[in-house]
Amino acid sequence: MSTTDKDTTTAAATDTVTERPPVFSVDGLWKVFGPKADRVPADPDLAALSPAELRSRTGCTAAVADVSFDVRKGEVFVVMGLSGSGKSTLVRCLTRLIEPTAGSIAIDGEDVRAMDRTRLRALRRHRAAMVFQHFGLLPHRTVLDNVAYGLEVQGMGRAERRERAAAVVAKVGLEGLEQRRPGQLSGGQRQRVGLARALAVDPEVLLFDEPFSALDPLIRRDMQEEVVRLHREEGRTMVFITHDLQEALKLGDRIALMRDGRVVQLGTPEEIVGSPADDYVREFVRDVPREQVLTVRTAMRPAANADEAGTGPAIRPDATVSEAIEAVARAGSPARVMTEGRCLGVVDATDLLSVVAGTDPAAGSDVAAGSRAAGAARVGAAAPATRRKPTTPAEPTTEEPA
Amino acid sequence: MATITAPTSQKAAPPGILTHPATRKLLTLAALAAILAPIAATQWPGATWPTALTVDVSEPLGKASDWIIDNRDTHPLFLYFFGHVSNVVVIAVRAVYLALLAVGWAGVTAIGALVAWRVAGVKLAAGTAAAFLACGLLGMWVPTMQTLALMVVAVLASVAVGALLGLAAGLSDRMDRVLRPVLDTMQVLPAFAYLLPVVLVFGIGVPAAVLATVVYAAPPMARLTSLGLRGADKEVLEAVESLGTTARQRLLTARIPLARKELLLGVNQTIMMALSMAVIASVIGAGGLGDRVYQALASVDVGAALAAGIPIVLLAVVLDRVTGAAGERLGEAGKSPVTWLYALVVAAAVALAGRLAGFLDWPDGWELNIAEPVNRAVDWMTAHLYSGVPVVGGTADWAAHFTSWVLNPLRDGLQWLPWWSVLLIVAALAWLIGTWRTALTAVLAMAAIGVLGVWKPSLDTLSQVLAAVAVTLVIGFATGVAAARSDRVERLLRPVLDVFQTMPQFVYLIPVVALFGVGRAPAVAAAVVYALPAVVRITAQGLRQVDPAAMESARSLGATGGQQLRQVQLPLARPALLLAVNQGVVLVLAVVIIGGLVGGGALGYQVVFGLAQGDLATGLVAGAAIVCLGLMLDRVTQPTERRTTKKGA
Repeated sequence: MSTTDKDTTTAAATDTVTERPPVFSVDGLWKVFGPKADRVPADPDLAALSPAELRSRTGCTAAVADVSFDVRKGEVFVVMGLSGSGKSTLVRCLTRLIEPTAGSIAIDGEDVRAMDRTRLRALRRHRAAMVFQHFGLLPHRTVLDNVAYGLEVQGMGRAERRERAAAVVAKVGLEGLEQRRPGQLSGGQRQRVGLARALAVDPEVLLFDEPFSALDPLIRRDMQEEVVRLHREEGRTMVFITHDLQEALKLGDRIALMRDGRVVQLGTPEEIVGSPADDYVREFVRDVPREQVLTVRTAMRPAANADEAGTGPAIRPDATVSEAIEAVARAGSPARVMTEGRCLGVVDATDLLSVVAGTDPAAGSDVAAGSRAAGAARVGAAAPATRRKPTTPAEPTTEEPA
Repeated sequence: MATITAPTSQKAAPPGILTHPATRKLLTLAALAAILAPIAATQWPGATWPTALTVDVSEPLGKASDWIIDNRDTHPLFLYFFGHVSNVVVIAVRAVYLALLAVGWAGVTAIGALVAWRVAGVKLAAGTAAAFLACGLLGMWVPTMQTLALMVVAVLASVAVGALLGLAAGLSDRMDRVLRPVLDTMQVLPAFAYLLPVVLVFGIGVPAAVLATVVYAAPPMARLTSLGLRGADKEVLEAVESLGTTARQRLLTARIPLARKELLLGVNQTIMMALSMAVIASVIGAGGLGDRVYQALASVDVGAALAAGIPIVLLAVVLDRVTGAAGERLGEAGKSPVTWLYALVVAAAVALAGRLAGFLDWPDGWELNIAEPVNRAVDWMTAHLYSGVPVVGGTADWAAHFTSWVLNPLRDGLQWLPWWSVLLIVAALAWLIGTWRTALTAVLAMAAIGVLGVWKPSLDTLSQVLAAVAVTLVIGFATGVAAARSDRVERLLRPVLDVFQTMPQFVYLIPVVALFGVGRAPAVAAAVVYALPAVVRITAQGLRQVDPAAMESARSLGATGGQQLRQVQLPLARPALLLAVNQGVVLVLAVVIIGGLVGGGALGYQVVFGLAQGDLATGLVAGAAIVCLGLMLDRVTQPTERRTTKKGA
């Protein structure tokens, strides 16, 4: 991915992401379950009700309520929320596995809700493939035939689809297991098959519905790294559903946090952790080690004098606070935040500690303002994936919080 | 049992007996009875069903039967529909039969063994070969092939019909709603009930036998197909849909393959039901092994009956094990078609070699006549064991005592009860265990028996059923508890239960006739033996599947074995025990009816009599009464779960 290139500045990366065309563009999406579901989105009074009130007034449940977002090409868009927050329904609405009640969905500018059966089938076959929580493999087929299934559905010949499937099986690290049945595999291996099946059709977007929730913690980490690797290698657009905050922070370029069917905050991991939109989000991110998510940009202050701007170790503005702490601790002096030979500001031990302690009002409000602006414009602000490739002079210490 | 469904109301109502739901139901019923019973009693006095309330259906039925007989060769419905069906069945059965004979005994044995080897392994292949050879040795090769030919046609038709119905019910909710109650009801009806309507249309003969078999054997296939299609993993189906499959692709590549286990189980059950029915259908001209048993039983020739009965049992066990093993082997890696080809070539070679060597008909010299020694043994038993054995008495004495001390008082008691009180008892029982709907169905079914004018013989049958169920439950629960508590007992019982559960109903009549002669007592004994394995198995499984955590906590509190059983296992296994009762009743009824063939009298005898005398009206009325009785007994013993919302017990 070009945006992860060392020489690209954060500002430039931000521009490229916001300029990219949206792959999925979702606007005012509703999915209401229950009798006469149509009236709920149509009536502003009903639409404004809380879930409990809505249920008692109409007997309906709004699984997805007035959700809008764009998924930009090449980004990992994470939808996070607790169970029952509507995130799984949301992802199923994208390819109309669940029929939305109201709102619009567009893929590359094409209206998904207006598609007839043939167009919709073509969308599912070629443009968006999904990975499921419980894998959804066919138990009577071998690994190879499971991976080739999507191609078989498209009508591809036996030899060709097997050849392509074999290549994908190798890519996800399942060589030698081609002739096994799903029942003979471990959970992690099964999910690799699920991933390979989605990859085999070479889709434009990969949709993940809590793909690693059913796996052991260690295997889950392996699989997360597998997804990071695939994303780095292919730059494929991904929509990733999870209830795990750590997973969301690790994988997401942007995160939409859902509660009761609504998006309560949409922003980069840094924005979510640094400036929660409300108490719910604040409670959610309370235990996250802030220094590993927030960057020095939030902690820096303008240089007090030319002396301060001229000395001290140089770090990049997108380095995490914990990396800056290490650099400051080594040098014993404030560090300079440098980009393209320009000094943006400085951070000293006090600045950094206040971030860790969460007592830095200036930085918090600063990011919060940015977050709100970004949320209003429905675009992301920070470069994707840069946190994962620390490029500071200091040694990378961005191993994700345990 | 009543104490565990104690009301859980939040109100501060005293835990008095009045608030108990069972009491409330009974009080409602008592109030209803207080109004209706005096009216009924004064209007139509007497114990038996009032003649004013019966409808004579035998005359119109007789007319209908006569009309069908007169028009069978001329009416277009018969000429262009039933006639063709009948012809196709006859030709198909004949073709299979001739093919089996043409392959010869060596060829059939070899093909059977090779198929068993491919689908079920070496052990079952040897068993299959041995079973076929035993059929030949007993001098039953030709009847066995006749039964097999009829079975092949009937099973193919049943599987096709059942799979189509199941497909419809599995894919369409509306079809499911229509079919499910029909299939549920067909499942509980005794085989004998199906014979008469088929005979009415097709007359006695092979077509009637095959069609009765299809009607009897198709429901399990339909039920299991639908179950398999509906039970498929939702997420797999969703994943398949997310890849852009068409509905057809989903059905062929996912739904049907995912239902393979249920489909094979359906085939297995259909085969077992078909065998059971193909044997019983000898009463309406099926021929083959069943006919030999039927003829032998008619002349109380136990030896000949046994010679034909053993091949039936062997056939049943082999067919069940081979198809069952095919289902269990599903998960394993698929075998290459090449080995199948080898097997086919070998089988063809053996058949050809047999043909060339003249091994077509089973050689007479190789036959083993067991009829004579068996009959001698039975004669000896009659002479020495029937009566007058010191201290224990004799088997005939037991049967006589059972008849005069249990069956007669029970029957007389039931017939002495005023008819409305019988209805009241049925209503009370059905309502206590089920819902008001099941109670209504049961009462209406019982009333229909009265309306049909067969109240007395039906109560006679009912008395036999009740006696047999009581014995079955006492022995079954005791054995089941023992099997649940001791692994050794379970290990000992399992093979016995396996064999007993696969045997067709008809076969059970042979040993009881040998032991007890003919009469009502042997019919009851056969019913007990037939129903016992299912009751034992369900009881043992229910007790074993009790939540281990509950058992552990009881043990940790220092409960004794008896306390654990009474206070934890039995209450928690209540659904299983109720199911055992329900199954016991249904199975007992099926055999008590067949008992009409060995002197059981009552409804079963009327069916046999109707068939033998060509008096179809009598038989049809009795058949309808059997249906009603089966419906009533099933509803009375049916636990609530199926329809109402489950209560947190």
